[in-house]
Amino acid sequence: MNHFVRRLSFGAAGEGPTGSLVARLAVVVLGLALGASLAMAQNTAPRGTNATKTAAPAAAPANAAPPASTPAASPTTAPPPASDSAAAASADTGAPAETPAPDTRGLDQEVQSLKKDVVDLNRDLFVLEEELLFPANTQVAVFLSMDVGDFFALDSVQLKIDQKEVINYLYTPREVEALLRGGVHRLYLGNLKVGKHELVAFFSGKGPNERDYKRGANLTFEKGIGAKYLELKINDRQRKQQPEFEIKDWE
Amino acid sequence: MSLQRPKGPVLRRVCLRLRCVSTAVAVLAALGAGMSSLAQPEYFLIGHEAPDFALHAVVGSNVRLSEHRGDVVVLSFWSSRCSPCRTQLAALDRSLATYRSAGLQVYGINVDDDQTRAIEFAHGGQAVTFALLLDPQKTVSRHYQVDNLPMTVLIDRNGIVRYVLRDYSAKSEDLYLRQLRTLLNE
Repeated sequence: MNHFVRRLSFGAAGEGPTGSLVARLAVVVLGLALGASLAMAQNTAPRGTNATKTAAPAAAPANAAPPASTPAASPTTAPPPASDSAAAASADTGAPAETPAPDTRGLDQEVQSLKKDVVDLNRDLFVLEEELLFPANTQVAVFLSMDVGDFFALDSVQLKIDQKEVINYLYTPREVEALLRGGVHRLYLGNLKVGKHELVAFFSGKGPNERDYKRGANLTFEKGIGAKYLELKINDRQRKQQPEFEIKDWE
Repeated sequence: MSLQRPKGPVLRRVCLRLRCVSTAVAVLAALGAGMSSLAQPEYFLIGHEAPDFALHAVVGSNVRLSEHRGDVVVLSFWSSRCSPCRTQLAALDRSLATYRSAGLQVYGINVDDDQTRAIEFAHGGQAVTFALLLDPQKTVSRHYQVDNLPMTVLIDRNGIVRYVLRDYSAKSEDLYLRQLRTLLNE
């Protein structure tokens, strides 16, 4: 150390270029060491405060007090502290409960009403889009429903209108389950001009005894002014032990 | 021998050489950057919603992608003629065994013209535990713009394409696992 001080004093006295260089280096090293120690001191201080902060919510459930964000904990309806020990515990844990929680009920209601407005707007836009893309005078919708399903496990449906394939839909087990529970699936939505048209539907799946099964059904229908709704129905025919496929025209 | 500062024509020559070297370095760097961008072009679906599809599985029932919203989904486009694809399918199977409980779904989408080989693979000794899907019309491959095999697409719990891997190696497997863990932790 003495040697270092001597070299430093030499440098400070300005004895040659090496001495001044060493002095500068020493000053830099000292500065760095000081800076590092300050930074360490700053890092250790917030850690302690964080620890107290995190300890507060951890202790809250032990006191069985309701959370501050719930309506029961709002300043207007909050009951007095249950016991002195609970109050003492909250005081030990940094006492965030002493400061009155801001009333967020009004804000929550505003957010909820905003969300409702967004959902309503989205629905209106969806309806508007459908009305624009598929006007009522040209609209054709094909639905599919299923009943029982003991003799047929649906896999896919291919739909042809006027000998043109319009959709080939694969059904997943979840969708089939939904159909068996009474759900109706809108298979196709499109436009057709007024006049006579032919609809052909091919149903693929597993038939009786787990055999591959493919059947077709067709319907010639008249498209007038106004929307046209058709329904493909899959039923079980108990007497023949076979599935039955039919197309129903909803007037 | 004494070291003297070059003067006159010597200095000019040294400067010229330095300039030549710096130009060459710049050209090489530009070429390298160009090559790297060629090797890994930006995948167009990153950050976008994954195109939905429904496909037949070789074994088991049909699969629709949108039904797995909420899970991390890995799609691996493969061919039975590509040997790295088979190795990758085995690696994916291992990762599925580890992370299935964390909400991971893996699907292999076969892009072969002749699907009998895919069916043979699915029923063979190297069979994997996840569903192998058939894409005979190549509609799904077209939607995902598959340009290399194997190609792996990682989709997050919100149905957004997050990562894509266009090859398979030990290095890319590490990267895949890191990316997968990131998505599973979200």
